[in-house]
Order: sequence, then C-alpha cells, then structure tokens
Amino acid sequence: MKYKSAKIAIVAIATAALGLGLVSSAQSAPKTLWISSDLPKQGGSADQSASTNKAIRLLLKQMGNKAGPYTIKFREYDNSTAAKGSWDDAQCAKNAQAHVASRDEVAVMGTYNSGCAKIIVPILNQDPKGPMIMVSNANTNPGLTKNWDPGEPGKYYPTGFRNYWRVVTTDDNQGNAAAAFANSLGVKSVYVLNDRQTYGQGVARAFTAAAKKLGINVLSPGDAGEGWDEKAPNYEALFVKIGALKPEMVYVGGIFDLNGGQLVKDKVKFLGDNTKVKFMMPDGFTGYPDFLALPEAAGAYLSFTGLSIDQFPKGGAAEQFQKAYLKEYKEPPTSSFSVYGAAATQVILDAIARSNGTRKDIFLKMKTVDIPAKKSTVGTRLKFDDNGDILSKDITILIVKDKTETFVKKITIK
Amino acid sequence: MSTALVKPQNVTRSNRKWIIGYSIAGAFLYFVYQFLLNWEGLPLGIYDAINRWMPPAAVNESLVYVIMALGLNIVVGYAGLLDLGYVAFWAIGGYCAGWFMSEFFYFLKIHFFGAVPAEAPGIHINFWLVLIIGGFVCAFFGALIGAPTLRLKSDYLALVTLGFGEIIPQIFFNGENFFGFNISNGTKGIVQVDPIPVGFKDLGPFDFGWKLLIFLFLAAVMVFISLRLRRGRLGRAWLAIREDELAASMMGVPLMRTKLLSYAVGAFAGGLGGVAFATHVNGVYAERFNFAISIFLLAMVVLGGMGNVWGVILGAFVLSWVNGNGLSAFGALYNERFGTEIDFASFTFLLFGLVLILMMLFRREGLLPESRLKLVLHEGDIDEREASGKKAR
Repeated sequence: MKYKSAKIAIVAIATAALGLGLVSSAQSAPKTLWISSDLPKQGGSADQSASTNKAIRLLLKQMGNKAGPYTIKFREYDNSTAAKGSWDDAQCAKNAQAHVASRDEVAVMGTYNSGCAKIIVPILNQDPKGPMIMVSNANTNPGLTKNWDPGEPGKYYPTGFRNYWRVVTTDDNQGNAAAAFANSLGVKSVYVLNDRQTYGQGVARAFTAAAKKLGINVLSPGDAGEGWDEKAPNYEALFVKIGALKPEMVYVGGIFDLNGGQLVKDKVKFLGDNTKVKFMMPDGFTGYPDFLALPEAAGAYLSFTGLSIDQFPKGGAAEQFQKAYLKEYKEPPTSSFSVYGAAATQVILDAIARSNGTRKDIFLKMKTVDIPAKKSTVGTRLKFDDNGDILSKDITILIVKDKTETFVKKITIK
Repeated sequence: MSTALVKPQNVTRSNRKWIIGYSIAGAFLYFVYQFLLNWEGLPLGIYDAINRWMPPAAVNESLVYVIMALGLNIVVGYAGLLDLGYVAFWAIGGYCAGWFMSEFFYFLKIHFFGAVPAEAPGIHINFWLVLIIGGFVCAFFGALIGAPTLRLKSDYLALVTLGFGEIIPQIFFNGENFFGFNISNGTKGIVQVDPIPVGFKDLGPFDFGWKLLIFLFLAAVMVFISLRLRRGRLGRAWLAIREDELAASMMGVPLMRTKLLSYAVGAFAGGLGGVAFATHVNGVYAERFNFAISIFLLAMVVLGGMGNVWGVILGAFVLSWVNGNGLSAFGALYNERFGTEIDFASFTFLLFGLVLILMMLFRREGLLPESRLKLVLHEGDIDEREASGKKAR
C-alpha cells in the first residue's frame, strides 16, 4: 500500500512538472469580480453578522450586482468557530489566506472584531497581487490606523501601503466626545472605570486623557481608570471607595455583557441616582434591552460611534435603504452596524467601478473614494483621511429616558 | 482467558516502519500544497475545491492540533490521568513565542539569531530556540501542576487540572497589570510574531509549504517521542498505572516520578504546539485559551482512540477539519445545490455531541483503537460470546 502511494505520488509529480512547462499563464481581467464579507457568524455576534450580510446582499441587489463594467458576486466568510463560540484567531488567519488565494476575489468587507482585523490586514497587505483592500464596518480600536500602542499602526502594514479603511470612527473619538459632553454639563470631577478589555480600555483611556485636557479632575488611578472584575458578585467595595472621593460623574468604558447590569445597579445603590452623580457609558452599552429595562439605568448618558439608526438623516439614500431592508426582510436591521456594512460595501464598489478590475488598481482607487451624504446608506459623507479613517466623525449622545435611548445631541469631532 | 489474547506487542513489533509511511504522507501533502496549488495550469474547479475544503492554512492548523493532541494523549491515553486543563500549556507555549519573538517588550533590545533587523526593539530569539524554550517551560509547569495532583484520583484529579486550566489563561487574560507588570497585553494580545528563519530566508505569510514541513517535523518528533517512550520502561510504567495504580505501585513502579514525567512530557508538546500556533496566526490572543479548547483536544484523543498515536492524529485531523472548514464547506455545497439557507456551521456542537454519544455506545475505544485498550473495554463481550458457545475470535 505504501509503495502504491509512492508510485502515485511520483506519477503525479511528473505530470505536474510536465504541465508546468506546457501551460503558460494567459490572464485577462475577468468580467466577474467577487467581494466578500468576513464576520463572526457563530456565537454572540451571529445575529449581527447575519443582518450585516443581508444588508450587503440588499445593496448589491439594488445596484443590480454591478459596479461600473463589472458584475459583482458576493461570498460570506465566517471567522468564528463553534469550539470557541466567538471569533477565532486561527480562523481569521485562515480566512486571510483564503482571500488572497482566491483567484477572483478583489476586496473584503470586515471584520467585526478589531483583534481579527489585526491578523487579517497584514496578510492582505503582503498579497503579491495586491495589496488587497479591506473596509471595516465595525472596528473601532484606534491602533489599527493611528499611533496608539508601541509599534502601532506600522506593524500591521509590513509593505508600507495602507490597505485598510473603516466607515466608523475610533474609540478615542468616542472618549473625546464623551469628555467634551461631560464638560458641557459642567462636570468638575470624574471617576473612570474600564472592563479590562481592548475596547473598554481604549475608550476609557481616551476619555481620561481628554477629560484631563479639559481641566476635569480625574479621580481614578492610571491612564484608563480602574478595571472592574466581570466575575464579582457585587461592586459594593468599589463604589463605597468611589463614594468617598465624591466624583460628580462616573464614566464606564466597557460593554454591558461583562456584568454591566450589576455594575449599574450598585452604582445607583451606593452613589445615588443618575441625576445626583452622573453616569455615562460608550456604545458598549447601547442596543441592550436588558440594560434599558433596569430602573437604575434611567438618566444615564450613552455615547455612540457614528449615528444610531433613528438618527440617520431623512430624505436620502439612508432612509430609503432602511425602508428597503424592512420591505425585503420583514424586519429592521439589528443595529446600525449592519447598515454600516452596506456603507463599507458602497465604498468598495465605488473603487471597483473606477478600477481596471485588479486588486492593485482597486487599492489605488480607494484613495479617491468620495460618496456624498445624500447617496450614502448611512447618510454621512464617505470620504477617508490618509490613515484610512472616515472624515465624518459623528458621535451621538443619548440619554436613557422611559426605558428607551433618547437623542440628546450630535457631536462632530474635527 | 483474555490474558492469553494479549500479544506482547510492545516488544515484538518493529517501530520504525511508520517513518516511511509518515514521510510519504507528508511528501504527498507537501506536493499538493506547495506545487499543485501554486501551479497556474491547475483547473480552477480543483483549485477552488482544495481551497474550500482543505485550504493550506487548515492543514497547518490541523497539524498544530495533532501536536497538542499527541501531548494530551501521553497524559490521558498512556498514563490514564484525565486532564481537563491542557489549554494552559498551549497558552504558556504561545506566550513564550509572544515574549521571546516579538516587539512586546519594546523597552528591551535583545537579539539572538532572530529573524528581524538588528535595530528592532523587543526580544527576538530564533524560532528554533524558542521552540525548545517553550517546550521546557511548559514541561516545568507540567510537573509543577502535576505535583499537587499526585495523591488524587479520577474525578478529583480532573477537577484540579480543570482548575489549573482556568487559572493560567485567566492570568494571561488579566495580565496587563500583573502586580504592576504587563505580562500579556491582556485581551489585546501580542500581535506580530517574528517569522521563522529557515537558513536562507525568513518565512512570509504565504510560505505554507515550508511551514507545513516544519509542522510535519514537529508532529513527527511527537510521534517519535510517543512511540519510543511507550515501548520503553517509562511507557510500560504509564500503562501499568493506567490499568491499575495500586497494582503498579505494588510491583515497584514509582508513582510520583512516573506521573510527573507524564505531565512534563505531555506539557512539552503543548509548548511546541503553542509556539508553532503563534507563528501560524502571527500573534497570541488570550481569548483563545478557554475551557472549550481543552475539551476539544480531549475529544480528539477520545474520538481517535486513546493511547493510539495514529488514532489521535486521525481524531485531531477530523475534528479540527469539521470545526474549521468541513461543515461550513459542506453547508455551502448543500445550500448551493438545494437552494436552502441552512447555517450548517451552527450545528457543529450538535454534531459533536451526536458523534460522542454514538461513539460511546458503539465504539468506546475510538476510531483507531489501541489494541490493549480495546481488549480491556471489550472484556465483557468476549465472555458473553464464550458463554453462548462461540469461539473468542
């Protein structure tokens, strides 16, 4: 048996060697181009990803599956696994290789998680036929595009070309906007908490820096405030300690999933309600019915990167797209991230339409993408700076009132 | 009666033949992924099929799982010590790569045959050395973790290993502030690990063929270690402990030393695999190291055949394939053909559960069972057959 397989191997090698000499590689730019999405389709983000893929399909349908002279086809990748129940680093690496290896694929829409993007972007960056472009609808970690941690962002772009863009603003802008808002409320002192995760720390760090710059007294230690333990049964000790410092506001950088409910309850229990000591959190707390249902949440301020769905400008493509989505799928998009997925796809298609159909040329055309607000599915202008960050940096401030998120104001970062 | 059936397999069977078969299989894989897939004349259909069903990165990932599963097999399959926290060694191995092969310690500048320019900050030690370092650091921790479990058996032992498997990843998870030091960068992970140097060049992200060879080599090292140790005095002592600890100690097997060695050797593989995996995904992420992965590795060992090296390899390949590519590729094909929109990947755990139940009902010894274990598990069956008047085999 073993000898047989050896024989087969030898024959196969010989055939391949022959073929290699005979076949020349004659290639012309194909008429059909594929784009793909790279999202976690299993675990907690599954619904979100499904909705995003639906939004992209709808957009393609609206455009007749065309971008300029090209027919566009769409392929979904899953960067999560069942064994992990969330995005999986090995799966991200594998998908990145698959994007590059695929002979017809020209661009990637994704990822949802910044950690996954940090694996995929360098690989697409080194694509011998590229660099291949990626446009994200949800990565908010600043390090992907600007100076943040040591070595960032340069280490994600080994060839020096910046092949990554995103249609949402970064966590630091959210922190900045939140600090500016706190200042406008007349807050003089603040205590910052974070959930010890990439996202939460990023926001908390930006908030702390911005608050200090505005002359607000930051009572918490460290540059990103104090971390809370998601596994703690309650936060009595934490808030009793904070209470002794008498801050006028508590800012929470983090996500609701990490025992945020208990945190909110204990904040009100030990520091008083949210009119007495103000309470503010980032978009890691938006879109959670469980959070809004808490009586303790009343009066808490929320910030949100980009615009919340009900704040998308009326009258333009944004409103139409939402109506079309509702009509097509009989349900609204799960959150604005899915619509941002469609916006990211718009950006990709715009670059493809003006290109000669090769990855390299699409990459070059990405630099001149400029979609006016009226045509954009999210209602803001889609144009990027040299880092790949979007120019319209809108942050929405919301307040929890009668168990709903109510619009307070829109802050535009310059 | 059943004792007469046990061939003294450890003594008579030659243990070298596998090298030939293994090399042929390896050469075949290398041929497919290095030459066939890069060949411009390959029909697009075949090219797409390979990339969809078993892309090069999936083969390399499976090989990392093979390395790990072989290590776990030494602890669980040979010595019979149920280990529910094996992912801890993967984590330690991974962070060895993160610490010694990246810019993580950016305030230092230590180079030792590293594969980066000399002015790069951080610690950059040669991949091959880091492999050895990772292996031995893990072996040390293996023995350390093994020590308090020596007096425990079965469920209690499993619980303690489970505890360690939770503690160590948690330390890394919260390691951004470990008594004032940043040891792991927390959930942000350590991104960008140095490339593997192979003498005349450093491996880039698309050098699958080379990485395949390296991972094949590492797996072969683990196969070699497993097979050789099993034949030797230590391996026989492990088997004796697995079968009957009390009897083994009565016969003069030093329980403490033997058990600790099984933990250490098993953990060594975790170190190798951890370092290899870090170079595979080009980073170390704390979120990977969770309990589910320990169970996943254990399932590979059980499904393949506890104690049998080839069974474990098969189990690792099958499960990592189903988890990573197989089911979603099958789903895509099915949906395409029948126009449905079923999300097959979300049924992975249902499938795993069903397979485990069916295996336990009909083939407890695994896909490719170890002959010895099979005899033990089927002792009752033989009696029944004999009782009904049929001959035993």
